[in-house]
Amino acid sequence: MVRLMPALLQGAVITVELAILTFVICLFWGLLVALAQSSRGTLAWVAGGYVQAVRNTPLLIQLYIIYFGFSMVGFGLSGFMSGLLALCIQNGGYVAEIYRGGLQSVSARQYEAGRALGMRRWTLYTTVILPQVVARVIPPMTNQAISIIKDTSQVAAIAVMEMMKVAEVWVESSANTYDVFAGVAIIYLVLTSAAGLVGKAVEHRLAFAQ
Amino acid sequence: MKMFAPLLHSYWYLFRGAGMTLLMAGAAVVPATALGVVLALVHVFGRRPARSALQVYLFVVRGIPLLVLLTFVYYLLPLTGIDLPPFWGVVVVMSLYYAAFMSEVFRAGIESLPQAQWDAARSLGMTRHLMLRIVIFPQALRLAAPPFVSLCVSLVKATSLVSIVGLWELTMASREVVERTLAPFQIFLGAALIYFCICYTLAMYGRYLERRSLVGH
Repeated sequence: MVRLMPALLQGAVITVELAILTFVICLFWGLLVALAQSSRGTLAWVAGGYVQAVRNTPLLIQLYIIYFGFSMVGFGLSGFMSGLLALCIQNGGYVAEIYRGGLQSVSARQYEAGRALGMRRWTLYTTVILPQVVARVIPPMTNQAISIIKDTSQVAAIAVMEMMKVAEVWVESSANTYDVFAGVAIIYLVLTSAAGLVGKAVEHRLAFAQ
Repeated sequence: MKMFAPLLHSYWYLFRGAGMTLLMAGAAVVPATALGVVLALVHVFGRRPARSALQVYLFVVRGIPLLVLLTFVYYLLPLTGIDLPPFWGVVVVMSLYYAAFMSEVFRAGIESLPQAQWDAARSLGMTRHLMLRIVIFPQALRLAAPPFVSLCVSLVKATSLVSIVGLWELTMASREVVERTLAPFQIFLGAALIYFCICYTLAMYGRYLERRSLVGH
């Protein structure tokens, strides 16, 4: 297993890159979608449709549509970019739902109080509403980060050399199956535990906001 | 409409794949639920060693992607000489995996009941068995129903992963059709639509249960 570790860790770097990029992009993208959902009119309808569409179809199919479908229509993306795009599209839907839950948990009186003080919409959201939302969504966001790390393994299906694909290649080339999978399992457990710990620490830091 | 001709020619094949997807999800959800209930009871009532073992199990399952476990079993089964058809191998892995998440859902259902319910049942002189059967379970299951349904949605979506280890279901069927027709956009969109119909129906049912469970409060 020691012999395999350098190769697996190289794959793990790609896994971590994908996971972090996806998570950071989703933090912004999901917030936009959630705010669009809480607005009125067509935009809310479109955002709601998007969330339902991605939450009720498998990531793998979205990955295939982007990787194989787009290249057929003329603008092909690399495996990594397709994977990143699919991961963001899928998880953006989940992150939006988390924000929406957070936005709904802020009581209507907070909005009224802000308006009564003559705050503009932007000031109201950035200084009153969103800080409370952020503090409340950290535990579910941590879970989402963990599931993003696990989701990156599916990108192996379009031949991106992340950890899962590296493992497959090693097993195919007759390395010891047990060793490879034990190594992969350990690295995934370390990554997901680390994400969990970071989440706990952030939650602790922001506990004052409650 | 001409663009979607490949889809119109092969929708029946995709529907057969969807049948297989449903069969697989159904075969996995039953043992997963049963085991989930048992594990939840171990978590709430079990002795310390059993609970610690459960913690380790939950930690491992929550930290490792399902795809890794499926691939592992796919390579491992021939080595161990266990003569299990791949379909059942996959069903076993998925059941064990989802049982961990199910147990969390049921445990949360049991633990969110107020202490007064337990005290009341005990003060009426109920045995533990009776208390669980007529006081705790009916309420806990009602609370656990909506998250249980979203786990079922996630399980249906997760069956698409078995196509990577070579089993035939909707995702594999659509890949085969794509290889024949070279129309990935249309075919995969069609497959996505079928998944959507299955999962959205389930999700709507979950929302209905959620609304109904709020009535009692």
